[in-house]
Amino acid sequence: MIQATAFTRSLWLQYVALFQWATPLGYLAYKVLLPVSQIVFFVQLGVFATGPSNALYFALGNSLQLTANSGIFGVIATVANERHLGTLPILLGSPANRLLTFVSRSFVNVLDGILGVFFGLVVTVLLYRLDLRTADLPLLALCIVVISMTTAGLGLLFGSVGLVMRDAIIVANVVYYGLLIVCGVNFPVGRLPGVLQAVAYSLPLTRGVQAAREAVAGAGISQVAGLLAGELLIGAIYAGLGYALFRLLEGWSRRGGLQEAY
Amino acid sequence: MSSLVRAAWRSFEISTRLRVVSPWAYLNWLVFPVIFASLGLFMLTSSGFTRVAYGVLGGGIIGFWSVAYLDGGNSIQEERWSGTLEQIFAVPTPLFVIVIGKIVGSLLVGLLAFLPTVALAYFGFHASLPALDPLRFAVSLAVLSFSFFIIAVALTPLFAVWRWAFTVLNGLEMAVYGLCGFMFPVTLLPGWLQPVSYLLSPTWATRALYASASPTAGADVTGWWLITFGLSAVYLALSVFLYRFVEAKARVSGELALA
Repeated sequence: MIQATAFTRSLWLQYVALFQWATPLGYLAYKVLLPVSQIVFFVQLGVFATGPSNALYFALGNSLQLTANSGIFGVIATVANERHLGTLPILLGSPANRLLTFVSRSFVNVLDGILGVFFGLVVTVLLYRLDLRTADLPLLALCIVVISMTTAGLGLLFGSVGLVMRDAIIVANVVYYGLLIVCGVNFPVGRLPGVLQAVAYSLPLTRGVQAAREAVAGAGISQVAGLLAGELLIGAIYAGLGYALFRLLEGWSRRGGLQEAY
Repeated sequence: MSSLVRAAWRSFEISTRLRVVSPWAYLNWLVFPVIFASLGLFMLTSSGFTRVAYGVLGGGIIGFWSVAYLDGGNSIQEERWSGTLEQIFAVPTPLFVIVIGKIVGSLLVGLLAFLPTVALAYFGFHASLPALDPLRFAVSLAVLSFSFFIIAVALTPLFAVWRWAFTVLNGLEMAVYGLCGFMFPVTLLPGWLQPVSYLLSPTWATRALYASASPTAGADVTGWWLITFGLSAVYLALSVFLYRFVEAKARVSGELALA
């Protein structure tokens, strides 16, 4: 019981302290101001490009991509900021279970990612009159849970780089905004050149966003099961690679004395 | 006077050197512009090339803004992390002289942001700006740079006294892109938001820049330049009070070193 309490407390502290939003104002900036302004910006850009009839396409895509705010920024920061705040040597010197240490970095961020997407959908409903009456809501909820988990898998992979890299949060910026280009968030993946389409389908979010769009249009589980299974597989591969990289770089950073490099 | 110029020059020199080796500067002038230009060009070329100027230049303006303002302002925050912020406030050189040196350096680096976006547009999307009026464009770019300079100089002290300033302004970044019309005309914004846009000097400079890059009927470019200067003068006047407030608060609260 004591261990469970300590574990839960550590999950929470990792989340609030290492993502640098230990204050309500910080949370408000990243989880309210940024999402609302991202949705409005890309909807207006999309309307300028293609006309007002497509506004919902952009609003829905960006609402779903908001999960990366937690899954990418949150998870990478939660690993990388250990170095920034000088606690990485203590963490790696502890006898804690490495798999638990690794997976726990993403736990609260997955929940927060789900919350972020729901917030984005509420904004989309209020500002752009998204009609969810014909949508398969349980399926949409499942899609949101799946993309939040798979995006965190990608975040864990890049977060591991923070063990040996001083400015890993730069990687988070590149990945977060790169996902806006390649994952079918603001325009169909089919508009990308062939090479980038291959990249898109090797990343989390692409299939999940497609499945969620179909769920909003009223598709059933049988129509999107393949997409969701592919999405889960991709997420699991990235999380597995992330753990392997975490162990590899842990040893490397210890041997190279890189844990305190700042 | 010469000592102030020398101090500003040293601030410019050191901050520029630091920026050359900072991965954040490369993120802002190279990576972000390419990402936003890619997004803009993919979206704006889906229905032809009539709005392509916003794709070609939009990413560059965003990168320019990011380096000039956020990177410039954050350099004060980095002084805090490096433990040198207290010295900056304690030296006899006024804070605004040091800030001016830093911001001029960030403006010069920020201008580089147009290179990758124009190259991406030309080589990746075969998009160019054949109707660009070089003289008007050059003046509009200078006016835009001036507006960024004044905003950065006026607001940078906030980064020094309020640790959360960077977090909040970072969260508002995309709102600024929209409100200033960096990638689409502000007339597309909801009516209740447009008055806010018109109070921001980069809105008018950006409008002049786009009007100089593509034929725009009824474009009063000179008028928009003058509005930019007028609003910048107002910001500058208000910043005098802000600097006095910040310098006093920094000494009274004694919290500069808190990171």
